[in-house]
Amino acid sequence: MTRVVEVPAHFDDRSFDQFAREYAASDSDRLLFDAHATQWASPYGLVGLLAAGQAHTETRGERALLALPTDRDVAHYWARAGFLRYAPEYFELHGKAPRVAAASESDVLLEVTPVRGADDVHGVVERIQERAAAILSRELGLEAQATMGFAMALSEACQNIVEHAGTGGWVAVQTYNWRRTLKRRVVVIAVADAGVGFRRSLEPTQAKRFGDRWSDASALEAALIQGVSRFRDPGRGQGLAGIRRYLARWSGKLSVRSGTARIAIVPSWDDDVPLAEGLPDFPGSQVLMIIPSQQP
Amino acid sequence: MRAMPRISLREALREAVADGYGDLVTRRTGQAVREVIEHTLANLSREQPAAIDFGTVGCLDLSCADEIVGRLLRDHGTARDFVLLNVSPSHRESIEFVLERHQLAVAMRDAEGTTDVVGSVSEPARRVFQFLAAGGASSTADIAAGLQLAPEAAQAALDELHRRRLVRAARAAATTAA
Repeated sequence: MTRVVEVPAHFDDRSFDQFAREYAASDSDRLLFDAHATQWASPYGLVGLLAAGQAHTETRGERALLALPTDRDVAHYWARAGFLRYAPEYFELHGKAPRVAAASESDVLLEVTPVRGADDVHGVVERIQERAAAILSRELGLEAQATMGFAMALSEACQNIVEHAGTGGWVAVQTYNWRRTLKRRVVVIAVADAGVGFRRSLEPTQAKRFGDRWSDASALEAALIQGVSRFRDPGRGQGLAGIRRYLARWSGKLSVRSGTARIAIVPSWDDDVPLAEGLPDFPGSQVLMIIPSQQP
Repeated sequence: MRAMPRISLREALREAVADGYGDLVTRRTGQAVREVIEHTLANLSREQPAAIDFGTVGCLDLSCADEIVGRLLRDHGTARDFVLLNVSPSHRESIEFVLERHQLAVAMRDAEGTTDVVGSVSEPARRVFQFLAAGGASSTADIAAGLQLAPEAAQAALDELHRRRLVRAARAAATTAA
């Protein structure tokens, strides 16, 4: 039997839980991800969709079905953002998949890129420095030093996949106008994987300490707030803390979703909650970083 | 005086990982580069501080900073003086973050020739470090007079720098050419 998972019309971090709810209800059925009516997808939506396809493929041993957006501009954007280059690994595509050449000057600072090992992280850091420095400076008013910090944050976020996920993942970076609350230009980093998630990664070293309170939420709190790691080396567990510090300096937002919980460092311009529990279960981890343009 | 032995991170990166990399990112890369540094250190006298040269290195992430500076100081910092050269502001941010977590400190010099101590040191010790780097005498009386500190405070700050092997390193950092 094939079950339909509707991709939201406006697919981003806010609508992700709606998507995850339909995904979680799918049991062992083959899935059809229906994006025919999708009008817009953020980098978070695109890498999340790939993670869902990856989890489905790895669990069932066959690809899911994906109905592509019927809107030509939306389908073109999905191609331009690099989603369609990797989608056939996890989805049997239905609908017209446009062929688009990568634009040298674009709001897509980093197309959807696989992260499977340390070499991929080197590649991501190199590409983002080549392409993002001028845009971050011109469009967001970030100084040169911030660009290097941006590459550092991106590297640490990608390494979470390499070190902890137990499988590959995805990263994408884009600038766009944030209409929801800020009404400013932002740069968005989205990183997602379909791996073991924070709770399972930290369970062997942390679960006993938390006892009955051990959950996806407490695992996220331990990692993000207390800086714990599954490794006993005292130098470990600094990555998320470093990302936090970098984003705090630029009034940025950090949100990490794993399993049934999401934790966020919420700047004054956003209205998200610091911790959400009891969300629909979704495999792996999904990290979102948003840096707004700096006011003159 | 013999020149301070200098280890180029760009060269170490090339030897450890791949020719094309210009950034010090990922834990695996940091481990490989640290092993190259340790191999080089094993053949160097401990009489001179060892200089780690960050020139031409692009991004330094926290994982690499932890392996190359944090872990190196934890494992070798009690037996040898270290100086970091050509440290950019973004390198410094990563190094500072890591060293504060480990309660460690190291002498550094940036590409413009400014010498400083980065990491976890008390404010009086930081001032004494600057005094020594500027060529000030290392007697308690001279430090106390030069910085208008009580002799006990000057002695405590000097003791802290000695404990962290930052006295010779301050002078070495200040007198080393970029």
